[in-house]
Amino acid sequence: MTAQFLPDRRGFLAMAGGLAAVSFAGTANAAPKRGGKLIYGRIADSLFLDPVLNDANVDIWVMNSIYDTLLFPTADGTGVQAGLATKWAFSDAGKTLTLTLRAGVKFSDGSPMTAGDVKWSLDRARDPKAGAWNDLIASIDAVTVAGADTVVLKLKLPDPTILAALATFNTGIMPQKLFEAAAGATPADKAKAFGEKPVGTGPFMLTEWKRNQVMRLVRNPHYWRQGEDGKALPYLDELEFQIIPDDSTRILKLKAGELHGSEFIPLARVKELQGDKNLRMELWPSTKVTYLSFMVKPKLTNGTDNPLANLKVRQALNYAVNKDGVIAVTTLGLGKPMRSYMSSTTPLFDGPAPLYKYDLAKAKALLKEAGFEKGFEVTCMTVAGNQDNLNNITAVQQMWAAIGVKLKIEPMDSPSLTKRYRAEDFQMRTAAWTNDISDPGQITSYFAYGPNINALHSGYNDAKLNELYLASQKETDQAKRKAQYKEIQKIFNDAATIVSLYETPYTVAWRKNVVGFSQIPLGNNYFQAVNIGA
Amino acid sequence: MNRGSWLLGRLAQIVPTFLMIGIAVFVLARLLPGDQVSAMLGERATDETIARLQAELGLDRSIFEQLLNFLVAAAQGEFGTSMSLRLPVMQVIAERLPVTLALMSIAMVLALAIALPLAFVAALNANRWPDMLIRTVFQIGLSSPVFYIGLLLLTVFAAGLRWFPVGGYGDDWGEHLYHLFLPGLTLSFSFAAVVMRNLRAGILAVLTAEYVDFARAKGLAAGVVLGRHVLRNALIATVTLVGLHVGALLGGAVITETVFAVPGVGRLMIDSILARDYPVIQALTLVLAVLVSLAFLLTDLVQMWLDPRVGR
Repeated sequence: MTAQFLPDRRGFLAMAGGLAAVSFAGTANAAPKRGGKLIYGRIADSLFLDPVLNDANVDIWVMNSIYDTLLFPTADGTGVQAGLATKWAFSDAGKTLTLTLRAGVKFSDGSPMTAGDVKWSLDRARDPKAGAWNDLIASIDAVTVAGADTVVLKLKLPDPTILAALATFNTGIMPQKLFEAAAGATPADKAKAFGEKPVGTGPFMLTEWKRNQVMRLVRNPHYWRQGEDGKALPYLDELEFQIIPDDSTRILKLKAGELHGSEFIPLARVKELQGDKNLRMELWPSTKVTYLSFMVKPKLTNGTDNPLANLKVRQALNYAVNKDGVIAVTTLGLGKPMRSYMSSTTPLFDGPAPLYKYDLAKAKALLKEAGFEKGFEVTCMTVAGNQDNLNNITAVQQMWAAIGVKLKIEPMDSPSLTKRYRAEDFQMRTAAWTNDISDPGQITSYFAYGPNINALHSGYNDAKLNELYLASQKETDQAKRKAQYKEIQKIFNDAATIVSLYETPYTVAWRKNVVGFSQIPLGNNYFQAVNIGA
Repeated sequence: MNRGSWLLGRLAQIVPTFLMIGIAVFVLARLLPGDQVSAMLGERATDETIARLQAELGLDRSIFEQLLNFLVAAAQGEFGTSMSLRLPVMQVIAERLPVTLALMSIAMVLALAIALPLAFVAALNANRWPDMLIRTVFQIGLSSPVFYIGLLLLTVFAAGLRWFPVGGYGDDWGEHLYHLFLPGLTLSFSFAAVVMRNLRAGILAVLTAEYVDFARAKGLAAGVVLGRHVLRNALIATVTLVGLHVGALLGGAVITETVFAVPGVGRLMIDSILARDYPVIQALTLVLAVLVSLAFLLTDLVQMWLDPRVGR
């Protein structure tokens, strides 16, 4: 995933409680200190460091330390900025995109990055047979090299998301020659071998990887970006990821000074770490939304009638949930109520007011109108062992009891839940989502647009919304697209096929002397400007 | 039957055991609801992505074909490639197994070092305060969850006193030992408790036996009586217990390794089950079954040495 949009500075500063502003270049005040090894605790190891063939956030969120993309997110969070490409221009009514490559960029092995590498990398990324992400750049019809520093993309249609896609992880630029020289007979085997010893133009290079234990990276001596001191980034000599799945152990290690930083601090422990004078808690705005989703088909798989097919019932259930109560219970106040199905950090988000403000009288009235005055029983599947989900669903269980709705909770492990979800064999489930691209198109295609995955496998399908979505995917006029998304969000939020609960930030804790880290709403971790002070 | 053929018969039992375990493991892994592809792709999955991955992982073939392939390959020591780690399964297990074996060995040594002397103290002071104290402390050790003891030790001795590192494994043998001490101690508690109680009871029973009275009567030093006559005879039941406990130690290692971030096979097992990584689950279960079988065999051999009646 990548990076188009950096968090809103002011929001972030307020949340982090006066942390110095962080940018790609590093801290704003004191000159950054160079050198040293940073040890960072991760909750889970990466699986496959291939931009195209990976499937998971554990890869996506760290690959930007190894591979660069043609464009990067801007610091103000509104668009893209130069990355490996310094200039880009549309022509032919938005159907041709000409990119000028940065001069003098080298891969971490010292070989020059060429226009040929860019063409090859993009062609590989858009191959419909390769990986789960090729849809993100499906609009590309052909990539041509038009000079040593120029690459031209011919598009099938004008595509409003193409710039965001060129700043997304799967379009990372790889060295064609080294990839083809990797061991293995098939491209898949070569990708596997190359992914063990990846080479990119990013700030770090991988030197050692012991699975589920430790990943060691060192600074790429050929990295092209400069720090505040006018010398090449990154500031660190070494970056070590230690894999420590247990939250308590990770936090103890951080407190003992054996780690410089740790990701995924449980929300329940944020306050405690905020009070630790040796540590600094950072809360980075994310695209994560936590919600409950409904099945809206009139019959369930077992043949019984499904009250959730009735719009009024779904709206009543929404009105009967006190979101502030849920936020207080589960996130200890760190979450904020969702105002649309997409997070407020998603471009073109439109959330003028809280969704379904808690109103028991209205909920009861709606249930009565729907003919369910006496209530009914509904079953929700949830991932066993996930405390947040359990807190959410038991809070909702009590709230719904007030309108006569009996909620049965059915815990199971995650693969089982996913299987039943995909088979559309459920009535309700607990869920969370993060975007992979800084564009509302992806989340909308999964949540609301029927033809993709049946709108979160709910059976919801709205002709008007589908039409608007398809139009928005071709609309290059930003104002018109914004209007389309306003309407899409209104239609979908009114349909109440989910109970929108809350947005939560990414929680990262640091030793006080470590500065310069940033994480964008999509989740990417940026380490190139991190430095360890005195 | 002489001892040689007893041993051969004992070894021959292992082969069908492994075959049954192999089939059971294959079937059980697939009875788990949900599959590898769902585990890997989560909500993002579209039908095309799923079909692509299933073909890539060989999950589109029939279950019998998969079972046959698995058994034939396993007989040749070939367990394929981990679906989630994308590395040869045997390589992954070979890297992790020594870590767990080291952890278990440390736990056993610590448990015996704790339990043996205390069992004597308790037995020789039966029902007086030292006995009561020791039994109470071990009762707590036995009934506390492993993760709780682990976190307690981490908080006090690692994060607080800074005597030990907070989890991890280190880079060389010295560091490995240093890193494995606290997890070893954690794992040893419940084991030490079982050994202590059992040995105490054994010693009490032996102490009243006639041959002990006889040894004393013929004027042997108290130490010799305790070491040669009491301990050796009381140990027979304890050795069986130690052998049987290897499986339980492996179970404890799963949790201990997670709490202490130790990269052993216990953590590998959890990760593979959550990822529905069939090749790893299958191979690892087989390897652990072999390990437990070998531990049982070793138990029998040690018993044969301790008690000459075994195998006659």
